[in-house]
Amino acid sequence: MKGYAGKLLRVNLSEGKVSKEDISDSMKIDFWGGRGFAVKLLWDEVKNVDPLSEYNKLIFSTGPLSGQALPSSGKMVVASKSPLTGGYGDGNIGTMASVHLRKAGYDILVVEGKSKKACYLFIEDGQVKIIDALELWGKNTFECQDLLEKRHGRNSGILLIGSAGENQIRISTVMSQRGRAGGRPGMGAVMGSKNLKAVVIKGTQNISNYDDARLKELGKKGYEEIKGKESYEFWMKQGTMQAFEWCNENSCLPTYNFREGVFEFSKEMDGYALEKLHVARKGCPMCNMQCGHVIKDSADQQAELDYENVGMLGPNIGLRSLPQVALLNRMADEWGLDTISLGSSIGFLMEASERGLISEKIGWGDFEAAQRLVVDIGRGEGLGKLVSRGTQKASEILGKGSQGWAMHVKGLEISAYNCHACPGMALSFGTSPIGASHKDAWIIAWEISTDRFSYSEEKVKKLIEFQRIRGGFFESATVCRLPWVEVSFGIHWYPEYLEAVTGNRMGWEDFYKIGDRIYNLIRAYWNREVPQFGRMWDYPPDRWFEDPLSQGKMKGAKLDRGKYDQMLSWYYDLRGWDKNGIPTQETLNHLGLNEVSKEIIG
Amino acid sequence: MAELKFLGYLAEVAGARTKNLVLDNPTPLRNILPSSFPREDVIILIDKKVGNFDSVIENDNLVIVMPVLSGG
Repeated sequence: MKGYAGKLLRVNLSEGKVSKEDISDSMKIDFWGGRGFAVKLLWDEVKNVDPLSEYNKLIFSTGPLSGQALPSSGKMVVASKSPLTGGYGDGNIGTMASVHLRKAGYDILVVEGKSKKACYLFIEDGQVKIIDALELWGKNTFECQDLLEKRHGRNSGILLIGSAGENQIRISTVMSQRGRAGGRPGMGAVMGSKNLKAVVIKGTQNISNYDDARLKELGKKGYEEIKGKESYEFWMKQGTMQAFEWCNENSCLPTYNFREGVFEFSKEMDGYALEKLHVARKGCPMCNMQCGHVIKDSADQQAELDYENVGMLGPNIGLRSLPQVALLNRMADEWGLDTISLGSSIGFLMEASERGLISEKIGWGDFEAAQRLVVDIGRGEGLGKLVSRGTQKASEILGKGSQGWAMHVKGLEISAYNCHACPGMALSFGTSPIGASHKDAWIIAWEISTDRFSYSEEKVKKLIEFQRIRGGFFESATVCRLPWVEVSFGIHWYPEYLEAVTGNRMGWEDFYKIGDRIYNLIRAYWNREVPQFGRMWDYPPDRWFEDPLSQGKMKGAKLDRGKYDQMLSWYYDLRGWDKNGIPTQETLNHLGLNEVSKEIIG
Repeated sequence: MAELKFLGYLAEVAGARTKNLVLDNPTPLRNILPSSFPREDVIILIDKKVGNFDSVIENDNLVIVMPVLSGG
């Protein structure tokens, strides 16, 4: 099939063995790419293993649109069995490695086994080398990126981990290009467990597409449409940080460990404050609406900010200074820690301190303490050890009711949206296939524009539609969703892109079915890998049901557990899952997952 | 006096982040906004309730006009 490099590159670090495999047409048709490829491989090859053992596999996966001359296409999915959640884990990352992997002749890289000593992979078209990385081990991600670029040239794609990944900290991510991150559910720890410090890719070939001339024309029109959007100029000024004021206004800003939805110092750190500090912009390959806004941090270094990291390392820990948030964010990027889970972990510790559950005194907004905690968490030492396996595990250790305000779903920390007054978004976090991520279905604006407080079946249907498009289509075609979601770039372009790339004309009903196949396989994976997996894994923390907001326009708001439960039942019905959230035999067979059905149902 | 708050790029379209207006009579929102104001992908809340461009605005109303963000 056109539009694919067509090969899977497999590297076994235990044996030092490299192999190249054809990707079957049925794999391309049924699972498409990115997340679809990843979950299919994990289902087939990673069964009931310790995520940090040599038996787990780390998958770098692209899709048919990745790296093409199309808007915001420089994306790749990083996936593995998650050491943070125990279930399916993935994340997308914007990186030149996506472009170079495809140019080197591969759609997928699978890393398996464990190297005896620190190493990195160097892939240059057909040549693959496993190289000693002793001198790189211990370097932060910025230093390591510099060294590898010096050695292999800047025209290369580099994926790497920081010391947090080396130390197998379960909230560590894979990094690239001094600030790009992907793989929230501990993909950095999986890479570290294999003694793999980095992957460097240099590709020189071109993907063979069905109609390159058409693709070029479509790409040009797409970039032009984005630049012509009425909201484009403002997007370029504030990027995702425009959400800061928006969320504060709508009482969904994560504040004081998600206790509140508004922050009293919001004006000091919103998108307008960012504009005044802005010194540069960074982004992913092939993108003309770059979302990374660079400011000088409180140590006068350049640091990249976006809404998620400001929300979680700002109001969620009571910090009110953007340059200080920027320093924490820079440290997280150097260590290779996920900024969302980091902010949630620090917030959890601050609340534990406030409640007297730990002896250390860490006040809200204590910048010095927060810096120390980043280091402790990266090392897995001191107080950092408590949260280095995530807030779920920390609360199990700490007990005393802390499980109710450990802000996670399925073990993955909730991203920067408070849902005391957003039941649809709470369900989105509850049913996200990797744990509490916003990327699959962000429904807050829709529910505010309709009936914010309703727990309706219509809302559940809308949520599933978002999951099909965002979590199904975009994660598997493996391009960035932001042009569509942030500046209203026409979604009708994407079937045309795929036709020019592959030669196949497909519509949204086709995309939805592929998305449903992927979602059901991910769900089956959780069911197989996590003991006693079921309905209780799909609930957000007690805090949103029991502790009402005490400030702002939504004062008094909290979720209704019974009504949430009803929405969850509707969700299962619409998905074709049983009352415990397990896909039925009929659903799996309808999606062509008969073998999966036999394994989990019998 | 009615207070209108504009979020995101809509503040630039409206020419201000906040406008305070004294209305002689109840007035449909569309008559208050510039003619160039976007009509799609806009959320309107009037005193915390969902409104639209035809909603009648009176003094003492708090109107929030915001773009449909999509949360990254």
